[in-house]
Amino acid sequence: MNQLIVKTKNLNFSYTKTRKDIEDLGLEVPKGSIYGFLGPNGSGKSTTIRLILGLLKKQSGNVSLFNKEHTAKTRLENLDKIGALIENPSLYGHLNAVENLKIAANYRNGISLERINEVLEIVKLTHAKKKKVKAYSLGMKQRLGLAVSLLSNPELVILDEPTNGLDPKGIIEMRTLIKELNEQYGTTIFISSHLLSEIEKTCTHVGIIRDGKMLYQDTVKALKQSKGKKMMVDLEVDKFIDAMTVLEELNKENTSLTDEFIQIEVESKTEITTVIDALRAKNIAVYQVSIKNNLEELFLSLTEN
Amino acid sequence: MTAITHYTTSTVNEFQKLKRTFAFWLTIISALFIPIIYLLYYLIKYKQLIPTEGVNPWDKFIVEQIRAAVPLLVPMFIVLVTSLIVQIEHKSSGLKHLFALPIPKWSIYFGKLTAVVCTIIIAYTLFFIFMVSVGYIVGMIHEELKFVSFTPNYFENIKLLFRSFIAILGIVGLQFWLSFRMKNFIIPLGIGTVLIVTGLIVYRAEEAVYFPYAYNMLSLFPIDKDLDSLIWFPTVSIYSLGYFLLFSLIGYIDINRKNIT
Ligand SMILES: Nc1ncnc2c1ncn2[C@@H]1O[C@H](COP(=O)(O)OP(=O)(O)OP(=O)(O)O)[C@@H](O)[C@H]1O
Ligand SMILES: [Mg+2]
Repeated sequence: MNQLIVKTKNLNFSYTKTRKDIEDLGLEVPKGSIYGFLGPNGSGKSTTIRLILGLLKKQSGNVSLFNKEHTAKTRLENLDKIGALIENPSLYGHLNAVENLKIAANYRNGISLERINEVLEIVKLTHAKKKKVKAYSLGMKQRLGLAVSLLSNPELVILDEPTNGLDPKGIIEMRTLIKELNEQYGTTIFISSHLLSEIEKTCTHVGIIRDGKMLYQDTVKALKQSKGKKMMVDLEVDKFIDAMTVLEELNKENTSLTDEFIQIEVESKTEITTVIDALRAKNIAVYQVSIKNNLEELFLSLTEN
Repeated sequence: MTAITHYTTSTVNEFQKLKRTFAFWLTIISALFIPIIYLLYYLIKYKQLIPTEGVNPWDKFIVEQIRAAVPLLVPMFIVLVTSLIVQIEHKSSGLKHLFALPIPKWSIYFGKLTAVVCTIIIAYTLFFIFMVSVGYIVGMIHEELKFVSFTPNYFENIKLLFRSFIAILGIVGLQFWLSFRMKNFIIPLGIGTVLIVTGLIVYRAEEAVYFPYAYNMLSLFPIDKDLDSLIWFPTVSIYSLGYFLLFSLIGYIDINRKNIT
């Protein structure tokens, strides 16, 4: 479990001289993990993936894949074990799904026609396999791109924002698929996303990047614990001012930025009842109480300046 | 896989990508263009075109068509078809996928270049087949044109086309590199067009032997003093092959170093 499938050390890269797009990035993806690579738009997720694959030339630092340094010598051997979907999928619009998969299969060794039909089945595109890809919808293209990356049964699957353009059903299917691949074949999966909720539901490990720098990297479990047991709760009430007085008596501070909700921090769920009771005792109507996703909060606090 | 299988796989794949593309149709249309004009010309004006007794009508018929094609049609076809074939990859943002596959980068570059060169060979072959077919068609409609009584001078005609083909390779090397490098296909197209026109203006100059865009015109004329007319490899052919190798190699080295974004 401690073996690292992807490891970068002090990785640096800039597209232009004026700024650093990736700075001293250290990424560690353990074997058999589902690694969520999280960051806001423009933080350098796609750039990091391109560096890992060797599409971009790193300015300094190193990249190891499967415990081997990724150099010109080991390039083909490493890439043979990787299936990748980088940003929008690379597909030939004038050809149909099967023709696209055939071309992708030819570039690798020993991929049978059966396997092509199998991946089409996995991504649920069998019904549209003879349709030209330019007539595909965004989500269908994304699915086909995923099929291409799965073709060779790779040890490592790299997916850059795979749920981009997928409908809710598609997102859930993608999640299930990723978990299945991971559990049944032990495939290591590296997913980038700007949605924490997505990562939280599927991943075992998480790395958070901002402005090309790694802010946090650990297991999802550790991330959840790091915030402690404290919870943020949103309250919707009718008498805002009165409610504030009640809460002050309970030593609760409103941290909300809007007037619509009151936001307080509680130690445990039982404390929520205490707060509601106190409010109700003063005849303040409580319309809504919701526990905020504290990971979302953490993500925002980490990625905001 | 060995180097050879990498190369053949890549080349075969390139041909599969050409299926149903405009590049494919452009090849056929370009090869048909002048033969169709000559078909109409010989059908309409056949009375003025009846050859004098004992003269082979094929020589004039075919050489005229080659002469009509060489200055503009052939080089423009080369520039267009090269851009179009490489554009298939840019349009599908395919390079980032190809360069992350377990295949050497050179096999991608040279596989695609091979597909381009083969397409050009196919265009020349079709052009020749269409010219001969048109000759026989009009010959059968108007027997007095004597196309049926004589046979085309295959050897000399093919030699002329071969010289033109070799002379064009220098441009192919450069245009292919430009097209591969730039996602926007207007740039190689613009550069190519400007240089072709330049070639038409300067080809009479002595220094034109160093300018590959003039070679196709030069391939028609024996400006080198080697021989009067038709040798297989005139000086420009040698220079053209030199440019082809040079640009292909520089192009590959450049692409190999380039960041794929
Ligand atoms: N081709 C390019 N040329 C110059 N700068 C680029 C290029 N591509 C990306 N950048 C810059 O690099 C930084 C990181 O971009 P990157 O595409 O890696 O972000 P990302 O995390 O993938 O974002 P998103 O969530 O929007 O996909 C950004 O500041 C971006 O402006
Ligand atoms: Mg991105």
